[in-house]
Amino acid sequence: MEGSIDQRPASRPPTAPLRPRDLRADLFRGLALWFIFIDHVPGNWLANVTLRNVTLCDATEVFVLLAGYAAGIAYGGTLHREGWLFAAAQVVRRVGTLYVAHIVLFVMFTAQVGYSAAALQDSIYIDELHLDAFGQEPYRALLEALLLRFQPAFLNILPLYIVLLLQFALALPLLRRPRLLLAISFAMYVLTRSIGLELPSWTGGGWFFNPFAWQVLFAIGLALGYRAPGGPGPLLVLPWWRGLGVLAVLWLVVTFVLLFMTWHRPEYALLVPAWLMPFWENVDKTALHPFRLISVLAATYLLAHWVRADAGWLRGAVAYPFVLMGKQGLPVFCSGILFAFFGRLALEYSDGAVMQAGANIVGLGSLVAVGWLSDWYKKKERAPRRDASAAVTERAA
Amino acid sequence: MRRVASLLILVILAAAAVPARASVCDVPPEMVDSVVPLASTARGLQRGALRVLVVGSASVFGPGASGIEASWPSRFAAGLRESRPGLRVEMEVRGGRGVMADEMVAMILAATAPRPHLVVWQAGTVEAARGLDTDWLARRLNAGLEALRERGVDAVLMDQQFSRFMRANADIDAYRDTLRMAGAVHGAPVLQRYALMQHWADSERIDIERTPRERRVAATDQLNACLAEALVRLVLDGAADAGTPRPEPALSPEEAPRPAGGARP
Repeated sequence: MEGSIDQRPASRPPTAPLRPRDLRADLFRGLALWFIFIDHVPGNWLANVTLRNVTLCDATEVFVLLAGYAAGIAYGGTLHREGWLFAAAQVVRRVGTLYVAHIVLFVMFTAQVGYSAAALQDSIYIDELHLDAFGQEPYRALLEALLLRFQPAFLNILPLYIVLLLQFALALPLLRRPRLLLAISFAMYVLTRSIGLELPSWTGGGWFFNPFAWQVLFAIGLALGYRAPGGPGPLLVLPWWRGLGVLAVLWLVVTFVLLFMTWHRPEYALLVPAWLMPFWENVDKTALHPFRLISVLAATYLLAHWVRADAGWLRGAVAYPFVLMGKQGLPVFCSGILFAFFGRLALEYSDGAVMQAGANIVGLGSLVAVGWLSDWYKKKERAPRRDASAAVTERAA
Repeated sequence: MRRVASLLILVILAAAAVPARASVCDVPPEMVDSVVPLASTARGLQRGALRVLVVGSASVFGPGASGIEASWPSRFAAGLRESRPGLRVEMEVRGGRGVMADEMVAMILAATAPRPHLVVWQAGTVEAARGLDTDWLARRLNAGLEALRERGVDAVLMDQQFSRFMRANADIDAYRDTLRMAGAVHGAPVLQRYALMQHWADSERIDIERTPRERRVAATDQLNACLAEALVRLVLDGAADAGTPRPEPALSPEEAPRPAGGARP
């Protein structure tokens, strides 16, 4: 942080931050984190109004894109000040944190499954539920979980994030050449989808989210977020073209109509032209189907141009909790996965209106509280250091 | 005043009791309407002999019920015979505990002599319990449904069972969506077992998870009977939508030697 202030051009007023924080990214990341919490609690009524009901993409895409965006800003700065090795070390340290978080969540999830299985011992009437991998081979499952080859339900985003960051640590210098970065990333995406490249999963098939495909979205986020020091803005800017905007709107409308006719109301599927169906047959999430990629990019393009970065409401009371959550992405994400455990247990106990409202209010409230707490803590942690350095400067003077 | 109140309570109780007694299995009609015409099934019904292949995981053999005759496939066959007196239903049930969609596709492809009119394909439970990637499931569903469509065999998908335990411990919605999408794209109606069971549980008619152990077998029998009833309605509705069926298409070589049981080429 201090380094960037030293590099500040003399013409800037001394108190102005080098780069104002883009609250839109925080807001949408906060919303994505809330949606991820909701979608991790099956049976939650709010799941009928999250992003996945209106577009092909869902909160996972938004989360990965904005994770790339934030990484481009944060590690791009380190890359300039300290070089590749140091920046890569910082990324790897973050990977370590994520890995530990994942393992802790895995242990908690396993305990939750074990607890509810024991509590309901003789009421599990679906025979297949006794086939869960941990119940059958616990020692092996533990090993496979450590190797990230065993990812129980709801614990598949962090492994994706871990591999994305590892790839990023290697590709860091490419931040300065965003076109090359995107070209390599896109080639990798095409290769992954065409030859079926995947990381193996112990339970069969590949990872729930294929990192070799999802990296393309992360890389796009990186290119959007990265700014050369002292430069006017991001290296790659996609200006507003009315034609492209119209195309984006059309895409989102057409895919919504198709989604409505096949997913919301499958009884209308007969009205969809038959030639369209082969394209629509499997818009997979596992390897980020191009339609999903186009959807999240179209929505991003429109929102980035329609919502102005200096819009007053971004600082208003309604946006505030989500901006706060978005700023503290990692702790909020991890605690969201944890709170979703409790949400699922609550709805397992009862899924009536009272419990639905309770689980959602407590869930969102806890997420905001985590966001607020880590924001407060980080500010507090940073403040005395500044005081101390100011004192040193004074003494030197 | 008290008399009026007790009278009111009596009236309410009576009103509440009447629909409850109508049928335990009642469901909103739109849940068992097939918008997809089932042409091959209609032909079988018209000829008076319907060949049905049921493929699925554990539930097809009726675990927890009083016997195999109380499993939903058996009750489905019985329900068809009841609704169409004189109908001969030749049913074959394949699958078993832990069977996943790739093996099910193989079972479906193997059923050629004689070729069924209708395949009831119950899928997606083992994949959800084991957390397989949904793309894996979608590819196999698409392959199986496509093969059936090419052969002119009707397919009805059946999704997972409702269970609060499963909902809390598996990402069940992702796998339900996969089935729903595969059905819509390939013109196969989906018997929404999950939604039906949730409806019966919410209306406190059949809720196996919350039924005391001593009444569990009876409740499971009831559940299977209700599922079979819903399936009969769905299939007959689809067959009716097909209108007057065209005559059976030319038999493929492996199906030529009839009656059933003829030697395979």
